[in-house]
This record gives sequence, structure tokens and C-alpha cells, in this order.
Amino acid sequence: MRDRRHHPLRAVGIVLVILWSIVPIYWAAKSSLQTESAARARPAQYVPLHPTLANFRTLLLGSGNVATGIRHSLLNIVIECAAATAVTVALAALAAYAFARFHFKGHNVLFFTVLATMAFPPYTTLIPLYRIMSAFNLVNTYTGIVLVYVSGFLPLAVWVLHNYFSSIPASIEEAGLIDGASRLQVFWHLVLPLATPGVISIALITFLFGWAQFLFPLVLSTDLSTQPLTVLIAALQGRHIVPSTLMSAAGILAIAVPAAIALLFNRYIVNGLLAGSTK
Amino acid sequence: MRDVVAEPDRVDRSGSAARPQRRRLDVLPYVLVAPVAIFIIGLAIVPALFTIIESFFTVNELDPPTRFSGLSNFVELFHNHAVTNSAANTAFYVVVGVALSTVLGIAMAVLLQRPFRGRGLVIAILILPWALPGVVEGILWSGIFDPNAGLINNLIATLHFGAGNGVLLGQNRLLTVGLIELVQVWQMTPLSTLLIFAALQLIPEELYEAATVDGANGWRRFLSITLPLARPGIAVAMVQALIATLNIFDQPYVLNGAASTGSSVTMETYFVSFQNLNFGQGYALSLVVALVTVALSLLVVRFIYRRVEL
Repeated sequence: MRDRRHHPLRAVGIVLVILWSIVPIYWAAKSSLQTESAARARPAQYVPLHPTLANFRTLLLGSGNVATGIRHSLLNIVIECAAATAVTVALAALAAYAFARFHFKGHNVLFFTVLATMAFPPYTTLIPLYRIMSAFNLVNTYTGIVLVYVSGFLPLAVWVLHNYFSSIPASIEEAGLIDGASRLQVFWHLVLPLATPGVISIALITFLFGWAQFLFPLVLSTDLSTQPLTVLIAALQGRHIVPSTLMSAAGILAIAVPAAIALLFNRYIVNGLLAGSTK
Repeated sequence: MRDVVAEPDRVDRSGSAARPQRRRLDVLPYVLVAPVAIFIIGLAIVPALFTIIESFFTVNELDPPTRFSGLSNFVELFHNHAVTNSAANTAFYVVVGVALSTVLGIAMAVLLQRPFRGRGLVIAILILPWALPGVVEGILWSGIFDPNAGLINNLIATLHFGAGNGVLLGQNRLLTVGLIELVQVWQMTPLSTLLIFAALQLIPEELYEAATVDGANGWRRFLSITLPLARPGIAVAMVQALIATLNIFDQPYVLNGAASTGSSVTMETYFVSFQNLNFGQGYALSLVVALVTVALSLLVVRFIYRRVEL
């Protein structure tokens, strides 16, 4: 019955979806494996005829300004995303548990306030956040960037984790409490393990959000000490001094981590996104 | 969803284990919530109030001190040619981006609606563009649009449609904003697809079977079953596309630089605030964008969203 419904055009459509998703990535990957003259050769080489890792060797082992900058900003983006993810998930888990399980004065007002900030368009707070960070001397510091990221990522994390915690039967916790465990022990030993898929989902999504940031770090980090890879790459592109194949290699480096996460953990990411969007 | 939220509370209230703690003031929940509350109040609510209040002030590093100036920031916006020009570009980004990502999202979701072998893998590949940073997508696509080494020009040359060295970006405004928005659509469509796909998964197969028995063809079934029942998913997808397109920054900034042919309102907010250091006007512009975003989102919810009872 089911198979009879498969329209012949569907296979064509699915092939188109796959091509649409990967061709731009393929083209950059191809270019990153070529010399500049091979990439510009006509007739075009749609596959690299003489693939070379020279561009990647330059970026990862070279000693020029571009290469050292790329390596430093790669380290920066990893530090900032990892720190922002750890803080976001930890704080959101505690708050989400409180919102899911406790009755307390101000519960609804606080919960609504946290969720309402999700409706703010992303850049409404760009200028004031810059001025606040600048007043506290936190521009060009990891702390400043991580604080801003966490404040932006918390609402979704609280919402998704709240839904996961709410779906766990309260009877499990009551059993733990009767056995003499404290509420925090119950949370740590009973609730959190059951909510692990949700925690993994939101951690991965938060990490990807952090990796994708551009305008906030563009404003909040003006030098290489804290600039993430995204900001440095855009600056290099704007200056037109870097050969396009080297830019392609830098682009491939910048997408390697998020692409790997998306491909390997797509189930967690899809579940987390759908848990966060059904309001 | 609301029921799921309410359930644990109800259980908690009647649960004997939780009762002793509720007689005195239980500080534990406040301790658990405090860090998030501090973050949200300090770094979201307070800054948002800053934006609202200071948009009525002259806040200019080059023209101190900060002073009340009524609506002058807003009036100046309308006389700033770069801003009105970017507003026109942004309107194009919004209309094309929301329409295209929604239509593609529906098409892809319908393709994936019924299970087939390898569907999980297709979904994994499909979400790739969503997971990548917008800036780097700009770099990837500049490789597609490049006059010499770009895929589009090379395909044109290979297929003998022309010389294949046309300048695609920055050459004329319509083409430029169109290609920039294509890159953003590439990024947004995976999420639209997933949201609509999730709505489609809730449609019972029997509806389609009954319609088939009644003689409805594929197109007819799509129009009278799939589309109406997917409306909650479509509405959420449209809202996220609306927010993304109204606030577009990364793609035009990387692909087209500061050029007026592609600049967006958020780009002008950035230039006004961080190059001209006229924060007051930046506040006014971001407030306008925020209000338009909220208003249009409410319109979409009002007209597209329908609670589906199955």
C-alpha cells in the first residue's frame, strides 16, 4: 500500500534536495584542494585533477600572518563555544528543573519573562550590550563574549529542558524522596540521567549557535586576542588579499566542526529543534 | 503543550513527598532559578529597555553629552538615504526569503513525508546548511558566484550559454539582492522543512486513504489535506524566516561588503552605531526593526496559524 504511493518524481526530488544541500560545500572543498591557477582554469575542472593539500598545509603549519591568525581564531571560537555551551546548559538545567517541578511565588512571571526574550529580534540588544561590556572593560575578553552568548542562548535551553523534565513522571522522583534523597540528589541521580537526550540536544544546538555568531563578536572583539574564526574569515574576504583557494580552505576549516556535528548527531539536533519550536 | 507544562505541577501539589517542603518558604527553587534570572534581566531585559529609552536621546560619541531629543532620531532615519535604501533591500529580502523558504520547505517536507530507506541520511544532509555559520556560507557561495572560478560562470561556459565571465554580484541591484537572498534561503530552508515535516507526521494516513477512495488525485489530496493540516508548522516556519530575513546581516556583509546594492537595515544599524558612533540613531533603527518584526510575526500567526484538532 505504502509503496504504491511513491511517485516516480520523488526520487528526482530527493536527488535535487541532496544536490542543493551539498553542491556549494562541494565546490569550496574542490577549490580548497586546487592551486589558484587550476581553480581558474578554463575549461573548468569540476573535480580537482591534481588535488593538493598545499592550502591546508599553509593554514595549519604556515608561519604567515594569515595562517597564524586563522589558527588563533580557530582556538578562540572553540574556547568561546565550549565555555558558552557549558555555562548555558548548566544554568538552564537548574532553572528548567525548578520551573518544571516547583511551585514558587513568581514562577509564572519569571518563566514567561525568560521565554519572552526569545521573541526579541536578535540584534535589538546589540548596541546596549556593547556599551555595557565596554563600561565593564569586557570588550576583547572571552568573558564578555561568553556572557553575551549565554544570555542569548539561555531562553531556548530553558524551554527545551523544561519540556524534557516535564515529560519525566514525577512518581520517579517521589520514590527517590521517600527513600531519603534530597531534591538535588534526586535531580542529579534520577532526573538528569533520564533527560540526557534533551541535555545532549540542547548542548549541540547551543554549540552550533555559538559557532555561527558573527555580528556580536564583530562588535565585541576587535582584535585577534578573542576574535572567533567567523570574524577573521570575513575580514580576510573583505580585504581581497588572500587567494580564493586559500579562502576556500579556510572556509572548509570553519565548517568542519559544525558539519561533523550536524551529520553525526542529526537525530539529537532534529529532536531538540522540534522540541523547541512547538509552542 | 500547555497540559504537559501543567501536569507536573498538579502532581507536585498532591504528591505527599513534596508537601513538607512547601509549608515554609522553600528557597531551593529561587536558588536554582537565580543565575538564569540574573542573566536574562541584566543582559536581555535591561539592554532592551536601554534601546527603547535611549532611542529618544541623542547618544553620540562625537557629539556629547547624551541629551533628550524626542523623535529626532526617528525623523533623521527617514531622511537618511542609506537607511531608506537598505529598507528597500530588506523588504526584498523578506518577501523573497519568506516566500521561497516556505515553498521549498513545503516541497521538501512533502518529499520526506512517507518513510523510505535512507530517509534519516537525507535529513542529516538536508540540515547541513542550517548548521553552518552564515558568514562562512557567504564565503562558500562567493565561490559559486565568482566571475572566473565560480560554478555558475563555469557552467554557463561549459554549456555554451555564453562566455561565462559575467559579474553576478554588485552588477545590478535586483540580481545582487536576489543572489544574496538565495544564500540565506539555503541556510533557512532546512529548519522550515523540519518544522513543516513535523506537522505532516501528525496527519493520519487514513485521511489520505479515504480521500483516495473518494477519487481525489495527488494534487487534490495535497490541497485539501496536507496544506491545511500543515498550517501550524508552516506558520512557525514563516515566523522564523521572517525574523531571519528582517535581521539579515552576515550574507550581504560578506558577499557584497558595504555596497548600497545589497546593504540591509541591520547593516546600516551597525554602520550608524559603530562607524559613525551615532548610537541614538542606531537604537532608533533597531527599535523600528524590532517592532516591525513583532508586528509581522503576529500577522503571520493571526492569518496562517490554525490550531489543528485531529
